[in-house]
Amino acid sequence: MTDPSHIRNFSIIAHIDHGKSTLSDRVLEMTGTVAHRDMQAQLLDSMDIERERGITIKSQAVRVNYTADDGETYQFNLIDTPGHVDFTYEVSRSLAACEGAVLVVDATQGVEAQTVANAMMAMNANLEIIPLINKIDLPSAEPERVKAEIEDGLAIPADDAVLASGKTGVGVHDLLEAVVYNIPAPQGDADAPLRALIFDSYFDPYRGVVALVRVVDGSMRKGQKLKLMASGKIILAEEVGARHPAEEPLPQLGVGEVGYLVTGLKDLSQVKVGDTLTLAEGGVDEPLPGYREAKPMVYTGLFPIDSDQYEPLKEALEKLSLNDPALIWEPEKSHALGFGFRVGFLGLLHMEVVKERLEREFNLDLLATAPSVEYHVFRQGGEMISLHSPQEMPDPGEIERIEEPYLKAKILIPPDYVGAVMDLTVARRGTFVTMNYLSQHTVEMLWEIPLSELIMDYFDKLKSNTKGYASLDYDFDGYKPSNLVKLDILLSGKPIDALSFIVHRDKAYDRGRVLTEKLKEIIPRQMFEVPIQAAIGGRVLARETVKAKRKDVLAKCYGGDISRKRKLLEKQKQGKKRMKAIGNVEVPQEAFMAILKVDD
Amino acid sequence: MHDPYRALYLHLPFCVKRCSYCDFATAAVPAESPQIDEYVEDLCLQIRRKSKEGELGGISTVYLGGGTPSHVGMPRLSMLLYTLGLSMRLEPDVECTMEANPESLTSSMVRDIWALGVNRLSIGVQSFDDHVLGILGRAHDAQGAKRAIACARERFENVSVDLMCGIPGQSTESFEDSVKTAIDCGVSHVSVYPLTIEPHTPFDAMVLSGQLAEPDDDVEAEHMQAAERILSRVGYKRYEVASYAKPGFECRHNIAYWTGVPYLGLGRSAASMTQNAERRMRIQDGKVTDDLDAGEMAAEDMMLSMRMSRGISDDLVQRAAQLLPKTSETLDALAEQGLCEHVDGRWRPTERGWLCGNQLYGALFDLA
Repeated sequence: MTDPSHIRNFSIIAHIDHGKSTLSDRVLEMTGTVAHRDMQAQLLDSMDIERERGITIKSQAVRVNYTADDGETYQFNLIDTPGHVDFTYEVSRSLAACEGAVLVVDATQGVEAQTVANAMMAMNANLEIIPLINKIDLPSAEPERVKAEIEDGLAIPADDAVLASGKTGVGVHDLLEAVVYNIPAPQGDADAPLRALIFDSYFDPYRGVVALVRVVDGSMRKGQKLKLMASGKIILAEEVGARHPAEEPLPQLGVGEVGYLVTGLKDLSQVKVGDTLTLAEGGVDEPLPGYREAKPMVYTGLFPIDSDQYEPLKEALEKLSLNDPALIWEPEKSHALGFGFRVGFLGLLHMEVVKERLEREFNLDLLATAPSVEYHVFRQGGEMISLHSPQEMPDPGEIERIEEPYLKAKILIPPDYVGAVMDLTVARRGTFVTMNYLSQHTVEMLWEIPLSELIMDYFDKLKSNTKGYASLDYDFDGYKPSNLVKLDILLSGKPIDALSFIVHRDKAYDRGRVLTEKLKEIIPRQMFEVPIQAAIGGRVLARETVKAKRKDVLAKCYGGDISRKRKLLEKQKQGKKRMKAIGNVEVPQEAFMAILKVDD
Repeated sequence: MHDPYRALYLHLPFCVKRCSYCDFATAAVPAESPQIDEYVEDLCLQIRRKSKEGELGGISTVYLGGGTPSHVGMPRLSMLLYTLGLSMRLEPDVECTMEANPESLTSSMVRDIWALGVNRLSIGVQSFDDHVLGILGRAHDAQGAKRAIACARERFENVSVDLMCGIPGQSTESFEDSVKTAIDCGVSHVSVYPLTIEPHTPFDAMVLSGQLAEPDDDVEAEHMQAAERILSRVGYKRYEVASYAKPGFECRHNIAYWTGVPYLGLGRSAASMTQNAERRMRIQDGKVTDDLDAGEMAAEDMMLSMRMSRGISDDLVQRAAQLLPKTSETLDALAEQGLCEHVDGRWRPTERGWLCGNQLYGALFDLA
């Protein structure tokens, strides 16, 4: 056990792409935790997808020992947090395990929306913030401007901001010293009963659920009986220890220490992020504040292209859920797509990551339907249905009203783009709340916008309408009534349930028209004519036709052409695997996502 | 042990220039280049070697293709054909085709190759419209094409021309005029190919940069149907998706490709197919490009047979069905879709099956 006065718990927070992971790696390298030759770029992002996308999905905690210029050795616990708005709650719990945060700001990009959001979260968690201006090795670095932005926009003194480069290693020593001197040591009562915060958990196939914990009061020993306060579950501490990131079992974790706990539990959903651990006997009554159930925001249908893959898909979802309690799913049947699952996600990124993992790690060919949100449909007489799929929409006559989830969105832009953001967001049914000048160069706009609009490539549009300057952050704001209808898409006269979606009545005609045009481009010509219609109830709003294919042959087929021909036919076969036969119409996957790409 | 080769292909990969659509194994090389001498000498040696190994004993069709065989000139062709005559039985019952382009086919060449055993000439005309020939980047004009055919006809009864359709900038009228001109020139065989844009060709770059419109499937279908209409009216029978012949003038060498007959290819990039009852391999430049088991062979035989108007015999279907249980079911489904029909004990492609051949071939290919 280290004396709390020599412990520093901190997190590194940043807007995406501002270099957080590279900087974390450099800290590990400079403290000798990981030899340079063992470094895999962005060591803390352990999943392939995390590394490829340059994002962090799961939290990580690494303990390093640092001998400071004062000759003393300090225990640093570096807690890496997920870097995306989908995982805001997880971030808040990780921050609650820290006393300080290093706020990384790109020396060329300056303060962006997630910089503000993360800084706010860190301030709310009462953390000491060390501003760090990263990438100062770049020729376009403007540290002075960025310092001013940090002071004006975030009200954080930036005179002493660390100037660093994760790439070259410059300034990392300054950072380590600043951590020692500026971040407070943890406070806690070593003699009180145990209170520890679970800030992340994962499933280890050999040891069951492992929790990442921060001891607040008391101590946690191997062999103790512990209680999970939210679920009431009693567990045995099979092992406790620290991660360097290699695991080192320890007899105990004391006040202020961060480490892991092997619970032996088989079900990750029993070990909830944000929950408090105490002693099973003689424990505390009052849990640590801030616990919340993770709730999905976006739902999509996932269907195997080959119906034989239904069971493997189910098993894959079960396996992924072991390590992802936020992943919620239930069987769904579509007339068009057969058997599949309705899956709930924290957000679009979470959805993309899960789909990619299912396809890549489990070798499945999947078809995802357009994401939808959870609508609250009130029937005549007051009964409320939580609608996760447009298919479940009751008959219009039975509906009294429909409510949809709204978000509070915060957009940061240079003043020149206020008009562009206004136009776009109003077109997406956004309601303007207010606007503040954070500095001469940065305007903060606050909006209320339906979540369903935001998931329709709003962010891509926002970026392109502001030449990439805008950054976005959002929070759930509750349900509000809306005039919504279900729009059906018909192929060859038959409604395709998996293509139907819920839309505001005023937009139904435009969306229907544009979507039928899009589908006409996406659906390849078939051996017969395919009419595409958009309709509400029985009323057709728009119609397009995919003409029948007239010619599809390569004329030359002599000696050497035959091998080539075989390759082409093989490609054609593979291509078909990426399509779903609905009735006799071959529909490519993109068709189900076309609704997301509908331009205003 | 492999079954004896029945067809021999000799590749001459040299042209006066590269056409804008071409992705064949050929290169623009001046006729006087020693590179061609070396190549032809090497080809002669390969023929001699195969002869010595006894591989040429069963050959009943020969095809000199390219490239442009006429581009290499008569002295080298003499050497090659003389070697061939010494190495295998090159009697009149052996079909011996040579490809030629109008710009390099002369009267004296026609007389000489005829004397050395060539009995069929296939001329790369592509179009009789100078505007279209310009788009294609061909080295000849319409006048030259007519002259070449007339030369050929001085000795050869069996003369074929290649025509292309669906070329951006080529009207239906222009294409139909070309078909009619070929008929008027008295050829016995016509091949009609819709233009395809192949990767890494000048046309590919032009399509990508928007200088050239992409060939339109509907226009190509229309042209292919126009060719059928015009040619069948005057006695040419469509015996394969792209091939029309007066009775008795079908190309036996090409039919070998479509009926699973083993062939030997000599020269750069020439493909060989060697097989026995259990296994079929195709080899190109020393590399195996296909290695098929009996089931895959049967599926391929059916797929290739469906290119031809005579289609697949019930006999072949029965043999295939023993290896590939879904055979009859698939053929029934294809007939249901109007892509083929069962007539007089054979499964034959319909007009629609020909135009949408990839659907038809794809379904048969997928059997194995």
